[in-house]
Amino acid sequence: MIEPFAFLSARFEKDVPRELSVLSIISQSFFKPFSVEDNLLVILTALTSGSGVGFNRAMLFIRDGDRLKGEMWLGPRSANEAADIWEVLSTPGIGYVEIIEHNRLLVMNNENTLTHRIKNLTFGLNQEKASIPSLAAMRKEILLVRDAANEPAVDPRFREIIGSDEFLCIPLVSSEEVMGEIIVDNAITRRSINLTDVRLAGLCGLLAGNYILTSRLYQRLLDAQKMAAMGEIAMFVSHQLRNPIVAMGGFIEQLLRPDLPEEKKLRNLYIIKDEISRLEKIIFEMGHFLKISLKEPVWFKPWDMIDSILNSPDISTKAESHVLDVKIDRHEIEIFCDPSSFGEALRNIIDNALEATPPGGCVYLRGYPKNKDWFTVSIRDTGRGISNPDKAQLLRPFFTTKEKGLGLGLAFVKRVMDSCGGKIDFRSRLGKGTIFHLTFPCRQVKGAEEKT
Amino acid sequence: MNDKKKKILLVEDEKALCLLYEEELSREGYEVTSAFDAESALELLVNGSFDLIITDIRMPGKDGIELITNIMGLRRDIPIIINSAYQSYKEDFMTWAADAYVVKSSSLEELKNKIKELLES
Repeated sequence: MIEPFAFLSARFEKDVPRELSVLSIISQSFFKPFSVEDNLLVILTALTSGSGVGFNRAMLFIRDGDRLKGEMWLGPRSANEAADIWEVLSTPGIGYVEIIEHNRLLVMNNENTLTHRIKNLTFGLNQEKASIPSLAAMRKEILLVRDAANEPAVDPRFREIIGSDEFLCIPLVSSEEVMGEIIVDNAITRRSINLTDVRLAGLCGLLAGNYILTSRLYQRLLDAQKMAAMGEIAMFVSHQLRNPIVAMGGFIEQLLRPDLPEEKKLRNLYIIKDEISRLEKIIFEMGHFLKISLKEPVWFKPWDMIDSILNSPDISTKAESHVLDVKIDRHEIEIFCDPSSFGEALRNIIDNALEATPPGGCVYLRGYPKNKDWFTVSIRDTGRGISNPDKAQLLRPFFTTKEKGLGLGLAFVKRVMDSCGGKIDFRSRLGKGTIFHLTFPCRQVKGAEEKT
Repeated sequence: MNDKKKKILLVEDEKALCLLYEEELSREGYEVTSAFDAESALELLVNGSFDLIITDIRMPGKDGIELITNIMGLRRDIPIIINSAYQSYKEDFMTWAADAYVVKSSSLEELKNKIKELLES
């Protein structure tokens, strides 16, 4: 017998050891598509939830160059508020998403929140006489302060803000450097901080430090990829532009010669005109691809859009010399995509299919629900097919097998499919043809169930 | 210069550029034959005799670098000039097998000078 278990529970687990509960809460933050801020909030939640480490309040400082900057402070401002919050958190069936939503309101930066009190607070990291919390960050040590009033390292300004005499400073240490600091206390319950609290809080600190590092490295990677893609684009564009420019320059050079026969003058002007149109087309397509920021996907019935693409002058003219066989199951469904991007994507694929198929050949278009959640549009041509080495590169920008293509059509289709959570795949055999499947998320139209 | 015209094989997929080069190089006294892709260039090379080859690099089908590799196995005595819109192919060591690398420009002076230099040496 095989018994499957989910990796993560979506609910707070109350009857497990605290260590397991903390790990469970924090693990959520690595899987949920939250922002960096939200994920750090998850870690503060782990530190303050009753089933987690159980501190009353947790404040977060993020390192900014050579100083720590106050970022957010999670916790109740008073005993009454504490009671309210704990009531919310102990609501049966409450999950992580609800709690993060709740805590997000608590740490917002407005005049009534704790966060507001530390938002402009900074501590230098290179002072000779460092005070808490700089000291913990500089020494990369967890520091437990028992009696803040009589501790010279505690800055009076900070003591006034935190207002409690016992608190724990946890530097967020990563493999590279200190990324920030969390300070926790039990200002409401006055429960004394024990060794288990320190250990668990240290674990949260390590996870938070490495999480911040990872998210920064990931951002750097994205930036680097963007730069590399820009370089590739710049190189491709310069090549695409150079050929027509060289031709125009050369034929103009000829025009300037006094002995050029009349008929050649006219011919050269026509060549130059053609090259200018080519340049315009390149610039238009590049701009179209690079600039279009895709609109947000929406639910819509795709039938009108499919009809308008099939009846558009460019497609119907090209299809005149082919057999275009269309069968669409027009169910009571809606698909999830931006309608105009859907149309453009479809136009691209049909256009490619018609171009790949010799005159007289067949192109088949099918639309059918794959199951209740997915709707597929398939386009099959009976053209030349795609070679194996080309298959691997087919969806990359600037890859083309056409003599004068820019290689942006399928890259655009891929972008559309990614943006709506759909899928593009294809199969092809040399000399036999190619079939593309565009699969979109779909749903039943409301009320259609009763009608059918 | 002797009376017999020197023969140049031009490999270039851009039709407008072929026409331009044919006319301009004929004016310089050369006989130019154009091939729009590497395959037909190789056919022409097997069946005809040429004094110099000018080739583009990025072409549909076999590219210029593959063409040079094929020519190396066929004839080693014909000088080759690479004429590409890309500067960056110079980093591909196979392009070093060519005798010259001229980046495409609307002024054909550099190309003409290189042809002259190679045919006279």
